Amino acid sequence: MFRRLKLDTVKYTAIAQINLQNSLAYAGELAYHSIFMVVILYVFVQLWRATYRAVGAETIAGLTFRDTLWYLVMTETIILSKLRFANKMSEEVKDGSLAYTISRPYNYLLYHWAYGLGDTLLRLVINFWAGALLVTVLVGPMPFNPVYTLPLIVSLALALVLDFCIEGLIGLSAFVTEDVGSVQLIYSKFLFILGGMLIPLDFFPAGLRNVALALPFNYVIYAPARLFVSFDPARWLNVIAMQALWIGVFALALWALFRVGLRHVSINGG
Amino acid sequence: MPIITVRDLRKTFQTKRKQPGLMGSLKAVVKPELLTVEAVKGISFELEPGELLAFIGPNGAGKSTTIKMLTGILYPSGGQASVLGLTPWKDRRKLAYRIGSVFGQKPQLWYHLPPADTFHLFARIYELDEATFKQRLGFLVEAFDIGDLLNTPVRKLSLGQRMKCEIAASLLHRPQVIFLDEPTIGLDVVAKQQVRDTIKLLHEHEGTTIFLTSHDAGDIESLCKRAIIINYGQVIYDDRVSALKRRYLTRKVVSVRFAERLENGFALEGVEVLKVGDYGVKLQFDARTTPVESVLQRLLDAHSVADITVNDPPMEEIIRSIYEAPPEDVEREG
Repeated sequence: MFRRLKLDTVKYTAIAQINLQNSLAYAGELAYHSIFMVVILYVFVQLWRATYRAVGAETIAGLTFRDTLWYLVMTETIILSKLRFANKMSEEVKDGSLAYTISRPYNYLLYHWAYGLGDTLLRLVINFWAGALLVTVLVGPMPFNPVYTLPLIVSLALALVLDFCIEGLIGLSAFVTEDVGSVQLIYSKFLFILGGMLIPLDFFPAGLRNVALALPFNYVIYAPARLFVSFDPARWLNVIAMQALWIGVFALALWALFRVGLRHVSINGG
Repeated sequence: MPIITVRDLRKTFQTKRKQPGLMGSLKAVVKPELLTVEAVKGISFELEPGELLAFIGPNGAGKSTTIKMLTGILYPSGGQASVLGLTPWKDRRKLAYRIGSVFGQKPQLWYHLPPADTFHLFARIYELDEATFKQRLGFLVEAFDIGDLLNTPVRKLSLGQRMKCEIAASLLHRPQVIFLDEPTIGLDVVAKQQVRDTIKLLHEHEGTTIFLTSHDAGDIESLCKRAIIINYGQVIYDDRVSALKRRYLTRKVVSVRFAERLENGFALEGVEVLKVGDYGVKLQFDARTTPVESVLQRLLDAHSVADITVNDPPMEEIIRSIYEAPPEDVEREG
């Protein structure tokens, strides 16, 4: 049992490590992403500065101008760094490389989690610091107490796992339909709006806010970003409990559908 | 006792059919037309330990689908198969430790990293301890002569070099059976020979059972003792390669490029001239009645030759010959 755990840890760590090495070979692409992050945040700074001036208030729904911008640093960091599991599955079906990735002695889903994680960790660090640098200069220092770093990381990690499970469910349809572009697009728009990527859910009208808060998407983006700008232990406990609950639901669905999906795999090419 | 047993194995796919143009696309969305394709139609065969089998056929014959069922990637629509005593699609992970596969058109090495990195990764995936991995890598490096390639990014390797590394990567965990799907596809003559030598060495040195698919009759001729030919999902030939050669690989095609212009046309006894130009000819002949050596010798004696290639007929032609042969001359199955 202990030996199995050790071997599996070594195996999945090696998978994460090799993708990290591979990502380092794409230094240019990573730099491009951080430039995109800086540009988009610069636009947000201008937009929200104008909005706060127009409203003429120090805070909107409890968030200051500085809080809002740092909230957006975190949401953009998550969205630009998260794993692209569904696309990866779809690519594997289309180019036939699924023949390799599905036939090796590991759990296919864990393989992809480890595979994506190596790249994601690097992107998280680069994107966050690129955005943080800009917002520090233009708006002010981060409103986050570093004492809460560890609990925040736990919530961020759970957010990534939850997103991975949802992406996995979308990706599974690639076993049958090959292309997942349309469903993937709908999911990303849900994250943009109902997940709170573009606007903090606090700014929504009460009805829409309650709907968004009841859906799982906010636990991928809004919940960890909101903790980042105003950490509260009671809120944190509530967030990670809800993240764990949604992960349970989606992971179970993913595992069950993956078993069924394996029977329907079709692979392109030769 | 057979290492691979296949009984009445079948695979049916459903694919969408779409009429061309915008209307066709709209129709496909509203009312998709599904087409059932029988990729493998009840094939049966056995493979003994240590055999080197050529599993051949034209494009779309069902070769790769069969391999994917035998490696547990695809579930069959019917029939049974056992590889090393395991049912591939039920015991996929257990079987993965004992088999290897190389898909010639699909790279498994990490493109931007040197092969050594992929080898290290595979050592972890297949749970090799450090000493076993080092020993095994040392053997493969020497056997395949890839020492100089280990630390070069894969994108900088030639196709032949890459393929040697691809095969070596699939052998790290010392599989008992290896499935090679078109390992020589797209390679030039030298690289093809290198890969063939590698396969030969693997078979002779380690006694690995090899299941080889190829479009190239040369691969089969130089490597395998037994061949199974599959066409439209059915086995149409299962016998020794020597018999296949004797019956169907008799015709050779020779392309010659001359160093000097042909002044007085071209003729050679016992050969059919397919094409003739100012500086080259394309010939074909039956090697049973006109030996290859004799044709080459006569060409070299009579002309100043700049380049010459000898080719086998394409697989499609061999299959056509099998279908056209009298029934008693062909062993049919399925």
